[in-house]
Amino acid sequence: MVQLVGPLRKELADSVSSCRVLVVGAGGIGCELLKNLVLTGFRNIEVIDLDTIDVSNLNRQFLFQKKHVGKSKAQVAKESVVQFCPKANITAYHDSIMNPDYSVEFFRNFALVMNALDNRAARNHVNRMCLAADIPLIESGTAGYLGQVTIIKKGLTECYECQPKPTQKTFPGCTIRNTPSEPIHCIVWAKYLFNQLFGEEDADQEVSPDTADPEAAWDPSEAAARATASEQDGDIKRVSTKDWARSTGYDPVKLFNKLFKDDIMYLLTMDKLWRKRKAPLPLEWSELQKQGEHSHFSLVEEMLGGGLKDQHVLGVYGYSQLFSESVKTLSSQLAERGAGAELVWDKDDPPAMDFVTAAANLRMHVFSMNMKSRFDIKSMAGNIIPAIATTNAVIAGLIVLEALKVLSGDLDQCCTIFLNKQPNPKKKLLVPCALDPPNLNCYVCASKPEVTVRLNVSSTMIQTLQDKILKERFGMVAPDVQIEDGKGTILISSEEGETEGNNSKFLSDFGIRNGSRLQADDFLQDYTLLVNVLHSDELGKDMEFEVVGDAPDKAPTPSTQEEGKNITNGNKDSAQPSTSSTGNNMHCCRNNLCRLNSWRCSVCK
Amino acid sequence: MVEKEDAIISEEEAAQYDRQIRLWGLDAQKRLRGSRVLLVGLGGLGAEVAKNLILAGVKGLTLLDHELVTEESCRAQFLIPVDALGQNRAQASLERAQFLNPMVEVEADTDKAEDKPDDFFLKFNAVCLTHCSRDFMVRVDQLCAPKNIKVFCGDVFGYHGYMFADLGQEHQYVEEKPKVVKQSEDANDGPEAKKPKVDPNETTMVKKTASFCSLKEALEVDWMGGKAKTNFKNIPVGYFLLQVLLKFRTDKGRDPQPDSYTEDSGLLLQMREDVLEAMGVSIDLLPPNFVSYCFSEMSPVCAVVGGVLGQEIVKLARACRMGTRRRRRPKQPGPS
Repeated sequence: MVQLVGPLRKELADSVSSCRVLVVGAGGIGCELLKNLVLTGFRNIEVIDLDTIDVSNLNRQFLFQKKHVGKSKAQVAKESVVQFCPKANITAYHDSIMNPDYSVEFFRNFALVMNALDNRAARNHVNRMCLAADIPLIESGTAGYLGQVTIIKKGLTECYECQPKPTQKTFPGCTIRNTPSEPIHCIVWAKYLFNQLFGEEDADQEVSPDTADPEAAWDPSEAAARATASEQDGDIKRVSTKDWARSTGYDPVKLFNKLFKDDIMYLLTMDKLWRKRKAPLPLEWSELQKQGEHSHFSLVEEMLGGGLKDQHVLGVYGYSQLFSESVKTLSSQLAERGAGAELVWDKDDPPAMDFVTAAANLRMHVFSMNMKSRFDIKSMAGNIIPAIATTNAVIAGLIVLEALKVLSGDLDQCCTIFLNKQPNPKKKLLVPCALDPPNLNCYVCASKPEVTVRLNVSSTMIQTLQDKILKERFGMVAPDVQIEDGKGTILISSEEGETEGNNSKFLSDFGIRNGSRLQADDFLQDYTLLVNVLHSDELGKDMEFEVVGDAPDKAPTPSTQEEGKNITNGNKDSAQPSTSSTGNNMHCCRNNLCRLNSWRCSVCK
Repeated sequence: MVEKEDAIISEEEAAQYDRQIRLWGLDAQKRLRGSRVLLVGLGGLGAEVAKNLILAGVKGLTLLDHELVTEESCRAQFLIPVDALGQNRAQASLERAQFLNPMVEVEADTDKAEDKPDDFFLKFNAVCLTHCSRDFMVRVDQLCAPKNIKVFCGDVFGYHGYMFADLGQEHQYVEEKPKVVKQSEDANDGPEAKKPKVDPNETTMVKKTASFCSLKEALEVDWMGGKAKTNFKNIPVGYFLLQVLLKFRTDKGRDPQPDSYTEDSGLLLQMREDVLEAMGVSIDLLPPNFVSYCFSEMSPVCAVVGGVLGQEIVKLARACRMGTRRRRRPKQPGPS
C-alpha cells in the first residue's frame, strides 16, 4: 500500500529527510533552491557563498532584506530559512568553494551537490571535485528570462568541461589603444586606464598609443627614429602611467590633455590608420570649459522627464567635469591608503564607475561615437546580467525535481532542461533534452586526459604557463608541474615560494622544446593533465598560446543566448575585460625585440 | 480601473529594481508600479505567486483567503510562521509577505472569495485564483475578462500543476521584430570616412491583437466533436487530470489529503471513470497511477508553476496596452 508523507511516497520522503546535500551559492538561484529543499523535506543542508548582500540583489534574492545589506549571503540565507523551517539543519560557510579546506573528502560527505553559481572558474572546480569524489552534481544557470538545468555524473554523463565553452571575447591591443570603433572598446580602455592610474598596473592593459601597431607600418628608418624617440619620451612607454600621473599630482587637467589631446594628436601622426577610418578629434580642456560655460544643460530639467538619473547622457562638457571630479576623489582615496596602495575597480563604487563613464564617453566623443549613459556603461563595464525572481524560481524548482530523481536512483530519467522565453512551436516553454555520454577525449574527465598546446618555448614564461594556461584556460587552482624528461624536473610547485624563481624564466630555459610533455597536477581537484608542447614561431596575432583542437574564439554575449547548449556562465567571468587565453600583443614586438633591434618580425612587417 | 502612474522613479526603487529594469525597461517597471492585483488562496502556489509579484514591485497585492492555517499549510508554505496554527492563512502570511518588499502595499482579506460581490473584483488590474472551485473560477472569468481585467488561474496537485490565462477577446500587444535595414550600394565608394557603427540590435515594434478563449470554453471542450479528435495527441494528460481534480474539489469541498489517502484515492479512481466517460474519451488517456502523484502540493512544482504564472502576471497586469503574446497552457511538470 502506498504511504505518503505529504506529496512524497514514504521511501523517498525518508531518503530526503536523512541525506546530506551541498548548495554552492546563496544568490538568485541559491535562495530559491534553499527554500524548495526545506519545503520538500530536506533536513541536512550545507550552503557556501563568498559574497555579501547588495541592494541590487533584493529584487530576487528574497531571503535577504534591506537591513541585511553588507552581511554574508550564506549566513543570512541560513537564518531566514530556519525561520520558516526550524527543523532544518543548515550549515553556512562564508567562504570560497575553491578553498582547499573543501577537499575531495569534504565532497564525499554529500549524496548530492547542487551548483547555484555565476562564474565559470568555480563551476569548473566543483565539476572536478564532484568527479573526483564521484558524487552527482546538478548544474544550472540563468540569465534574464532564460535558464537551464543539467546533471553531471561521472562515467554516465558529460562533465561540465566535456564540451569546449566559448572563451570570453577579448579585443586586440591596437583596437583598444589606437583604433576603437565601438563603445565597448572605449569602455575597456577606460577600465585599463583606471588600473594604470589607481589600481594594479598590468602590462596587458596599456592605454597609450601603440606604436607597434602593424597597421601603422612605418618604413624602417622612421621606425628607428620613433623607437629612439619613444625611449626618451617619458610619456609614451618607459615611465609607468601611474608614476607619471603621480608626478603631476594627479592633476585632472594635465591628465585630460594628455589622454584626450596629446595622445590623440600622436595617433593622428600614424596617418596610415586613418586612410579608411574617420580620424579622431582631439579635445582640449580650456576650450571645452569655455564652450561649457555657454551651453545650458540642466540635470533637473531632464529629470522631469521621469527617467532614471543614470540613463541621461551628459554632454562632452559634463563628462569632462565628471572626469575631473572622479580623478580628484580617486586620487585622494589612493593617497589615504598610503604608499604602494592600489584601488580595485568595482562597478558599485560610485567614483570608480563615474571615472569609467567619463573617460569612456570622452574617448567615444573623440572617436565620433555617440556617447552612452552611465546606466548603459555600467551594464557593459560591469558585465551586468539582468535578473528576475521568476526565472530563478522556475530553475530552482527544476533542480529539486531532478534531485529527487537522483535520490530515487532514477538517473536514467534525468535530463537537461531548457527554459525559454517563449513557448516553442510545440508550445513548450520547458524543453527537456537527453543527457549526453562523456566525451572520451575530454581533458578533464577522460581516464588519462591529455591536451596539445601550441606556443613559443623561447618567449613563454613559466608564470604564463601557470597563470594563463593552467589556471585560466584549464581551470586549475594550485597546479604542480613537472617535465616528463625521465628526471621529473619540477617546473612549478603549488607550495608558495618554492618555485618563484622560475616564474620569469622561459620554457626553453628548462630544455623544453617541440614535442616535450609536461605533467600538470592539481592535487586538490585530484586532476592530472598531460600537456604536449608544440613549438611555433608564428602564432596568430595577439596570441600567447593556442590549444590545438579549440574552435576560434566566439563572443558569448549573454543577452543573445538562445537555446544553445551552454549554461549561462554568469557575469563574473569577465569582471575584467580580460586578455584571457589568447593574450594581447604577444608577438615579438610586444617584447620590444624588434624595436630595440630596429627590425620588424614577420608578423609585424 | 486605471491609476495614474507616478512619473518619477525614486533612487531607492532604481537601486532595488536595477537588475529587472535592465531586462524589461523602465517603462514596464513604471506600469507594474501602477497595477493592483488580487491573489486568492495562500497555499504553496499562492505563496510563490505572492513572492514573485511583491518582488517585482506591483503597486498593491491583496491576499484573499478564508482558510485557517493547518500543519499541512505550514509545511507547504514559507510565508506562514510555524506558530500560526489556527490563524487565518492570508493574515498569517501578511507580515513575511510585506517584508519581501516594503514598497508594495500588501493587505490581507479573510473573507470567503465566493461571498465577495462582483464589484470587489473590478477594483483590480489582474486577478489570480488558486484553490478555487470550478464554478467560482468561471464566474470570475466571465465577470472580469470583458472589462479588460486579466484573469489567471492555477493549482498544484502533488507533482502536477496547471495555469490558465484569459486576456480577453481583444488583447492588444506588441511584438518586437528585428528591423530590416536596406543596404545601399554606393558606386562612389572611395576612401570615405567610416561612419560610427549602428547599434546592431535595432528592432521595430509591431502592434497585434489576440483573442483568448474563456475558462468555461476551455473546460467544456466537446471531445466527441470531429475537430477536437485530431488534437488528442497534443493534449497533455494534465488536462484530464485537472477535470477529475476539479470535480473532487467541487464534490468534497477540499483537495485530496494524505491523511485520507485510501478513501480519497478510491474516490479519485471512480471520478476518473465518470469524468472521462462523460467527456466521451478513453479512460486510457489518464493512467490510474495518477492517484499517487496528485496529493498535497509539491514545493518545487509550486515554484515552477508559480514562477511561470508570476511572470505572466508581471508582464500583463498593466492598466493597458503592452504585453507579449501568451496562450492558455496547461502545465505538467512531473514524472513523465
